[in-house]
Amino acid sequence: MKKWFSITLGIVTATGGFLDAGSISTAGEAGAKFGLGLVWAVVLATIAVMLLVEMIGRFSALSGKTYAAAIREDFGFPFFLLPLSSEVIAESLLLTAEIGGMAIALSLLTGISWHVLFPVAGLLVFVMAWRAPFDWIENAPALLGLTILAFVVAIFALGGPSRGLLPTLWQPDIKSGGLPTYLYLVAAILGSTISPYLLYFYSSGAREENWSGKSLLLNRVTAYVGMGFGSVGSLALIVLTAMVLHPLHMDGNSLQAIGQPLGHAFGRVGIVLFAIALFSTCLGAALEVVLGVSYLISQGFGWEWGENKKPVQAARFNLVIILFLCVAMVIGLLGIDPLQLALFASTVIALLLPFSLFPFLVLMNDKQYLGERVNTRIANGAILAILLIAFVVALVALPLQILSGGG
Amino acid sequence: MAHRDALCSIRDIIDSQLETTDGMAIGRVADIELEMQENGMLLVTALLTGPQALAGRISPRLQKFLRFLLRDRFEGRIPLSEVETIGPTLRLRKRASDYTVGQSERWIASSILRWIPGSGYQ
Repeated sequence: MKKWFSITLGIVTATGGFLDAGSISTAGEAGAKFGLGLVWAVVLATIAVMLLVEMIGRFSALSGKTYAAAIREDFGFPFFLLPLSSEVIAESLLLTAEIGGMAIALSLLTGISWHVLFPVAGLLVFVMAWRAPFDWIENAPALLGLTILAFVVAIFALGGPSRGLLPTLWQPDIKSGGLPTYLYLVAAILGSTISPYLLYFYSSGAREENWSGKSLLLNRVTAYVGMGFGSVGSLALIVLTAMVLHPLHMDGNSLQAIGQPLGHAFGRVGIVLFAIALFSTCLGAALEVVLGVSYLISQGFGWEWGENKKPVQAARFNLVIILFLCVAMVIGLLGIDPLQLALFASTVIALLLPFSLFPFLVLMNDKQYLGERVNTRIANGAILAILLIAFVVALVALPLQILSGGG
Repeated sequence: MAHRDALCSIRDIIDSQLETTDGMAIGRVADIELEMQENGMLLVTALLTGPQALAGRISPRLQKFLRFLLRDRFEGRIPLSEVETIGPTLRLRKRASDYTVGQSERWIASSILRWIPGSGYQ
């Protein structure tokens, strides 16, 4: 009975953990601008993240090591600087976007400007990271995040997608001059779903919860089913914005605009549901990002770490959390719209994916850690192919987007 | 060949986790100190930690620059005789408070974190 409970909880957690400011922004804007034309990218990214989350759980359960510790020990300090610096740069942008997403959600609920609420949201993240035990951080935002199912309900409430929308699935509605934005969104969808912070977070979580070889079944089920369910949220949001915003030629280029379809379906209640979903997914993701980076740094340098310890028992780990949140606060002062920032951060992450995930693939094929349970060739090939697509698309899209003046 | 079990390569030591006898992770080995013996053998005498030792792994020039900047203030040295077992985790013989390596942990706890409510500082 307890086993089934933990499997259910694991699935719920993975479902809630799938969505964040990045995936809500990319899915919402994708649907508004290109109809169903970017559904394929979400499906591709979901396959990659299912495979990766299963792998990192298997790695940590069998080797008893975290990803960051294994990089430092196997590849040495100079190499370690590569994932370290790329993570710190990309995740500081993403963390700012997540906190901005929380602020916008609070602003939808209270009517106060999100700029004013930004520090409040940051403080909330700090309080959770400072004192909440690990299972709270993993489960509480995820449970609230299930409000995302409102997206699915709204699709039916609004009568489902029209017949005219269906062909955009294989024939994306790209207007002249729209190709750079299309590619930018492809890269952003891949980068926001296949986020490397997940690997640092999950591998540390497996240690915080003392996973062992016995946990492998639980690991596989939660990775595949949870991430599969999670992508339903993203897909539903694409369909919803494609149904409501696309015909009105609305761009969906702010989080407030992406919430409007729920307002169409359920009125004020819909906006509140959207705000709750946005707030909880962004809170969950902000915690995973800030902890992921602190895990990476602390484990890489061999310091005490852990959410289940008092802050002074892992002082350097907690100091990194504080400093990283301060960095996000400073970036937040620039007042960049969270959706635009999330898109940019996700594309940068897509560009850096080969650097952050290449050592992971090497480790996943190391018999010294995994024995006979190393990766299959198909899994290796699939991940490599998806990484390559993400890298190439991001490499093309990022300069185009910057040249065209963003947005 | 009598000591085959004790054979290990430098790779097993460098970047390994340093753990004290009271189970505290105090840092990782940044570099090692070698001593040339009269019979021509190289002997590992100590484990080094700190920003300068790490910089030396990247480039000697960077190390020189950091030495000028930090003047050995944050460097740590643990004699090899302090190591009980060798492996991915190096277990040391004494408690965390007996080593200068990882001192910053206690300094941060007692000078910064204690002022924030709920830090658990006593």
